[in-house]
Amino acid sequence: MIPLRLKIETDAVDPYVVRLRSCEGMPEPLANVSSLDAALATADGEKALFTGAAGSLHLFGIDPSEVDGDVVFVVPWRKTAHRLIRANSRHNTLLITERCDQLCVMCSQPPKKQHVDMFPFFETAVLLAPENSTIGLSGGEPTLFKSELFEFLRKTMKQRRDIDFHILTNAQHFERDDRAKLRDLDLSRILWGVPVYSSDSTIHDHIVGKPGAFDQVRSNLSLLCEAGAKIELRTVLMKPNAPGLLDLARFVTAALPFIDTWAIMQLENIGYGRKNWHSLFFDNSLGFDLVSKALDFSISRGIDTKLYNFPLCTVPADYRAFAPSTISDWKRAYVEDCVDCSLRNECGGFFEWHPKVHGYGRFGVA
Amino acid sequence: MTVWPLKFRERRDGKFLLTDDAGGFFLSDQSFLERYVGNNLSSADQTFLRENGHSFEWEGDPDWTAFAYRWARRQSKQQELSYVILVPTLRCNLTCGYCQVSRAPETAQGFDWSEETLNGALRLIGAMKGPRIKVEFQGGEPLLRVDLLEQIRSFARARFPGSQFVVCTNLQRLGEREWAYLDQADTFVSTSLDGDRNTHQRQRTNDDATTDAFFNNLADAVRRLGPGKVSALPTIDVDEPPDFEELVGNFERYGIQSIYLRPINHQGFARRRRSDPHSIAKWNKLHSSFIDYLIDQNHRTGRYVEEYYFSQCLRRFLRSGADDHVDLRNPNFFASDYIVIDHDGQLYPTDEARMLSRIGRVDLSIGTVTAGIDQAKIQLLNHASLNNFDPDCIHCAYQPFCGTDVVDDLSRDGRIDLVRTDTWFCQRHMRLFDKVIEVISRRDEPALRSVAKWARVPSWGDHMIPVHT
Repeated sequence: MIPLRLKIETDAVDPYVVRLRSCEGMPEPLANVSSLDAALATADGEKALFTGAAGSLHLFGIDPSEVDGDVVFVVPWRKTAHRLIRANSRHNTLLITERCDQLCVMCSQPPKKQHVDMFPFFETAVLLAPENSTIGLSGGEPTLFKSELFEFLRKTMKQRRDIDFHILTNAQHFERDDRAKLRDLDLSRILWGVPVYSSDSTIHDHIVGKPGAFDQVRSNLSLLCEAGAKIELRTVLMKPNAPGLLDLARFVTAALPFIDTWAIMQLENIGYGRKNWHSLFFDNSLGFDLVSKALDFSISRGIDTKLYNFPLCTVPADYRAFAPSTISDWKRAYVEDCVDCSLRNECGGFFEWHPKVHGYGRFGVA
Repeated sequence: MTVWPLKFRERRDGKFLLTDDAGGFFLSDQSFLERYVGNNLSSADQTFLRENGHSFEWEGDPDWTAFAYRWARRQSKQQELSYVILVPTLRCNLTCGYCQVSRAPETAQGFDWSEETLNGALRLIGAMKGPRIKVEFQGGEPLLRVDLLEQIRSFARARFPGSQFVVCTNLQRLGEREWAYLDQADTFVSTSLDGDRNTHQRQRTNDDATTDAFFNNLADAVRRLGPGKVSALPTIDVDEPPDFEELVGNFERYGIQSIYLRPINHQGFARRRRSDPHSIAKWNKLHSSFIDYLIDQNHRTGRYVEEYYFSQCLRRFLRSGADDHVDLRNPNFFASDYIVIDHDGQLYPTDEARMLSRIGRVDLSIGTVTAGIDQAKIQLLNHASLNNFDPDCIHCAYQPFCGTDVVDDLSRDGRIDLVRTDTWFCQRHMRLFDKVIEVISRRDEPALRSVAKWARVPSWGDHMIPVHT
């Protein structure tokens, strides 16, 4: 697993964002931000010293070449630097808030009451990101801080026209007036990831723990369509919603034809997902019929449909082309049975925290 | 609740296909139809119609927006010019009985692009926005002027980041220079293969030596250029069709699994020789039996051959956006994304329009490569090039999936204001879509397998077609 937090020491007092530079022959830093770089001064086996306008920064226990170009958030009193943007990763996500108005039964990151406004730091981080990055924004629910979010997007997208955003939101908080604000943004560079779990409002509302959520998301997806937003519909597959997956496929093709992608996702064994594993985990290796019918239907109607986080061997051969490797590098792992697998290079494997007893009845490629 | 207008068509089995303007569809029965027409829908009817996307509560609600979106997606968008069909010469080294293009003898003078036409063509291509363009060389036999092909290709490659070239050649006579031209990653071959050897010889090559030369070159092309680089079309004489088994075997032998059966074209000189008012019924029967043949054959071999146009109609029925076939889309605006430059520098909206003009039936040229496109003429043609408001089409259950073909109507009947159902185009497509509905409703394993392959989905079954009773 790739560490996302580094142990540090610094002479600074206030938290700050800085980009680490440890290799020679780096591209010239983007205009006006070189003051936000810290360059490698010395290194030995245990620690590396970076120096820049913000002062000196000692990093412990990491090879400095591995963090070259990384954008880190330094919290002096905690002796910690958070790697907000790792230069060699395609999976960088900024956590906008830990608050949420929904309480999903499988939430991988259960919400917390307190909120720390990180937008000013995130703005700096985005300006320092590598060229042509896609930055994920997640939570909690980012649109609880909708006006700050729009402002953040407006500023950063103007200054970094090469950067795209992937925003995970429950879409509960958009209003008619937001269409104009959305249209002010370059919507071709934002993909809105919005979860819908069932076409049955009772089941959806139960899964997200909020009465009325289904009607709200339906209405706001429509609003996003009117604004011209790109939408990735996300459906975590679980015992409560698996039997209705074909109905959901029908709903998607009839009622949400404007989405760009429909992602059907396997459950992550963390947070509430771990707590409720036995009542939630749906073994697609044995019950693929429910999945395949939904896939057939939505693909035939022209919806780009994908299976996320499905180990390839649990998917029948005819459907594997729809199961790209999607588990982020820093949380990807394989189990013992995977050692000799011929599909390993194309397979996303497991979440690192997936139980060793993986729960699939049929596993492994012959 | 407001229900969007439904159109219906009765099937042979007494069931009804119902569709709406956005391409939504389902199967139902006589009693539903009566409830619908009598404004007497049950609550189960209403639930089904709402869930299948046929209704809304108020203008602008999510159901309304979804329908509007699906309707819009069913319309083919006006596009940037990105595709040119070039006829650098009308001369040809074959004399096929059905030649559609009024060929000129190989040694004739005055049937090739002039210097002025070449420069005009380069200017026209150079003015295209890009970044991707496609150039198709037609003829005559375009490889008789491989020098012109080379100039066009070098120019397009230098001008655009992405360019693709298709040479429509009879593959009859190829020297080192011609092979070198074809043997490039961005260059593709399209040829004619009229099914079995006998039919091919009767319709195209006339004698054994010429037939041998063709088949040898076809085999060489597939071997030298690699898989996916060579495609072939059979032109079918409905009165003397080739043997299906030999036809499919011949195409598979050359690695081609998509076969586009084309009836001998009624445009160009072909029309003068043959004109049978009943030929459309014969054609529909032949085409339908070919689809049935493929379903059985595919199941036996485990290899999945498709009839290209049938698959295209099947995909158009199921989903929007299948607008890549320029002869079947709606609206079908002329000189929008593609244009034809003839051997004499005249511009035409389609290859068929070129042939029709050539025989003097009607002048469908839309300008010249030096003077540019005649927009007034384009507007006139475009006016009739959509089926949304056609008094016959608006009642047709297949309207959202179908298209329109002004040039075909002109070619066969000399006018465009006919009762739609009397036209070749309409009769052909009614039967095609009838066949689509028939085949996707079949439940036998062979049909399920072929339909899945043709629709580009992993599997097919009852869950794929909404049914309401």
